[in-house]
Amino acid sequence: MKKRWLFMLLLAISMVISACSGESAGNEAEAESDTETEAGSEEKTEVVFWHAMSGELEGAVQKIADDFNASQEEIEVKPVFQGTYEEAITKFNTVAGTEDAPTIMQTFEVGTKYMIDSGKIQPVQKFIDEEGYDTSQWEENITNYYAVDGVQYSMPFNSSTPVLVYNKDAFEEAGLDPEKAPATYDELKDAAKKLTNGDQVGFSILNYGWFFEELLAAQGGLFVNEDNGRAGNATEAVFNSEEGLKVFELISDMYNEGTFYNTGQVWDDMRAAFQSGKIAMYIDSSAGIRAMVDNSPFEVGASYLPVPDEANRQGVIIGGASLWMTSDIEEEKQQAAWEFMKYVTTPEVQAEWHLQSGYFAINPAAYEEDIVQEEWEKYPQLKVTVDQLKDTKPSTATQGALISVFPEARQKVVSAMESLYQGVDPKEALDRAVEETNQALEAAAKKSGN
Amino acid sequence: MSLPQAQQETQSFVKQRWLGNSRRFASLLEGLLYLLPSILLFTVFLFYPLMKTLYLSFFYSDAQGVPLSFAGFDHFVQLFSSSSFMTSMKATLLFVLYTVPPGIILALALALLANEKLRGIGFFRTIFSSTMGMSVAASSVIWMFMYNPAIGIANRFLTWAGLSEIQWLLDPGWALISVSIATIWMNTGFTFMILLGGLQNIDSQLYESAKIAGVSRFYSLRKITLPMLSPTLFFVITVSMINAFQTFGQIDILTKGGPMETTNVIVYAIYKDAFINYNVGSASAQAVLLFFGILIVTLIQFKLGERKVHYQ
Repeated sequence: MKKRWLFMLLLAISMVISACSGESAGNEAEAESDTETEAGSEEKTEVVFWHAMSGELEGAVQKIADDFNASQEEIEVKPVFQGTYEEAITKFNTVAGTEDAPTIMQTFEVGTKYMIDSGKIQPVQKFIDEEGYDTSQWEENITNYYAVDGVQYSMPFNSSTPVLVYNKDAFEEAGLDPEKAPATYDELKDAAKKLTNGDQVGFSILNYGWFFEELLAAQGGLFVNEDNGRAGNATEAVFNSEEGLKVFELISDMYNEGTFYNTGQVWDDMRAAFQSGKIAMYIDSSAGIRAMVDNSPFEVGASYLPVPDEANRQGVIIGGASLWMTSDIEEEKQQAAWEFMKYVTTPEVQAEWHLQSGYFAINPAAYEEDIVQEEWEKYPQLKVTVDQLKDTKPSTATQGALISVFPEARQKVVSAMESLYQGVDPKEALDRAVEETNQALEAAAKKSGN
Repeated sequence: MSLPQAQQETQSFVKQRWLGNSRRFASLLEGLLYLLPSILLFTVFLFYPLMKTLYLSFFYSDAQGVPLSFAGFDHFVQLFSSSSFMTSMKATLLFVLYTVPPGIILALALALLANEKLRGIGFFRTIFSSTMGMSVAASSVIWMFMYNPAIGIANRFLTWAGLSEIQWLLDPGWALISVSIATIWMNTGFTFMILLGGLQNIDSQLYESAKIAGVSRFYSLRKITLPMLSPTLFFVITVSMINAFQTFGQIDILTKGGPMETTNVIVYAIYKDAFINYNVGSASAQAVLLFFGILIVTLIQFKLGERKVHYQ
């Protein structure tokens, strides 16, 4: 009896072992057949493109790749959805430097410093120089963000900025001019007061670090020292400046007056609140505008970000993401990836991308395309977002901060925003967020041994 | 005793011992062979990562988790002086307190009801255990919609009942309670199932004797059901406790650790540190602390709880 069991066990083990080896043999065979097909079609170079565009946007990305693949014979671009920006960068982190790494990686703007420091990427500047490619055709404000010390690290792809979105019908009911959105904090407070009645609350900002950064930059405020981390490694956060305090005071004041609604941290919650008439004004990404116009049961208006009355309007920081080329891969693949990147920035592709997604066209020539002009007639809100970017004054404030611990800094800002609703003093909340961000910066410096 | 005789005896004794030893050795080997598959799996997926985590907790490492320089106890010192870690410890303990006792009492009540012999009881048993078939992600999304402050049903219900609206997931005072309610709902199915199984294993003769003796239902619940169910209860309490300490999914979907870190339970804090902020060392240190925390709680449970457990 015992022996039989032992035998069975041994049999089981041997089966497990042989199964394992069988599997790996299968993999090898698969890999071989892969190389065979590659060799068969010889000149087709495969470019794996990791992106974080979900929903309708994923379809738009796929279409760009399909069109590109159809337009030539040599290169095959394969877009692969990898989850949110955060998830994608985490996955990239684990495979970077191995042969599983993608050729092109889409990363959000706050991951810029992180990608540069990772040492696993190839600045596109190399190809720009080799070819004498003219980058001046790109939107200057966008390329500025991704250029560090004059080196273009990544290729801008999808860029967006925040705009004030408002319910025109509610404006009319409240006796406000639906064509004139509040431009300053005082006007915003006034309008919010008039708009607050019954179930409807005047204004809201999502508890998300990006909005704070934008409202800060709109007044010319810096996020960290060393010229927003552009002149050297940032060592201290400076967003508890007068400009930062103004933003926090605005939120705190309005919340205490009952004209500000806390929508939490989830974008969809905020948009649902707007569409259901719970809030009359809020700040959203320009990439969300078109869907908002289409899906709201009322007239939707869009306008520039408000600034404090006495402030000099500086403009907005570019948000969104860019395309990075990985290093440690064959030269041929890099060249292929570069070809695709160039294709993506052509006016025709950008025009379509702008209309489908609401992201900016990297190449302003796209705005001259007929299809864009036609759609702008239908959706004047899209044009507002573009104008706001055009009116932006290039400076270290509107160029955006460059720090490696950006995700962490954002969490601290969010916590501080949330504490405002608990009656914490704006100054105190802001100081605490700065202090915690400093700790994170310090820890990061310790890690990199500086 | 002559010398050869003694020699012979020693020889036979040695032989016997050797035989005994070898037999014991053989049985040990056989036993190990049986365990081999699980030992292998545990080594690959548990022991090795555990050791690696312990190792990493003593190092500063880069974003990819490659250790750069020795940190000693820096990460631990940092954690114990950080208010954020204290908040997450507090949140974890409160979460255990909010979910485990109410969850088990609810499941026990349901199991007692479902243990009655009624027509169509199978239907109720299926309903009560159905949450077991729901993934954490799916049920979290459902709860998220219900809690939505603008369009959620929870607030509509409150206004209908004439109460004021609650910012379920946005109010620091309510967020942890809201997540706990959702969690209790999610876990009820599993706890109910195990407890019902325990109840059905109780010998019905005991109840028959109780009936003959004419004791009250409550008395037989206290003196027969609970003692006979105690091994199952003990198991359920231990497992629920460990589960509660390791909660992640519902936090990630419902609150992301907010507002003001009130729901930043320790596993979520570890995730955030390791995979969003790339502080692998600090995250590992927290994981090590969590491991010892759960270990201590479980040991205490075995020491205190098992004495009260009645094994047949």
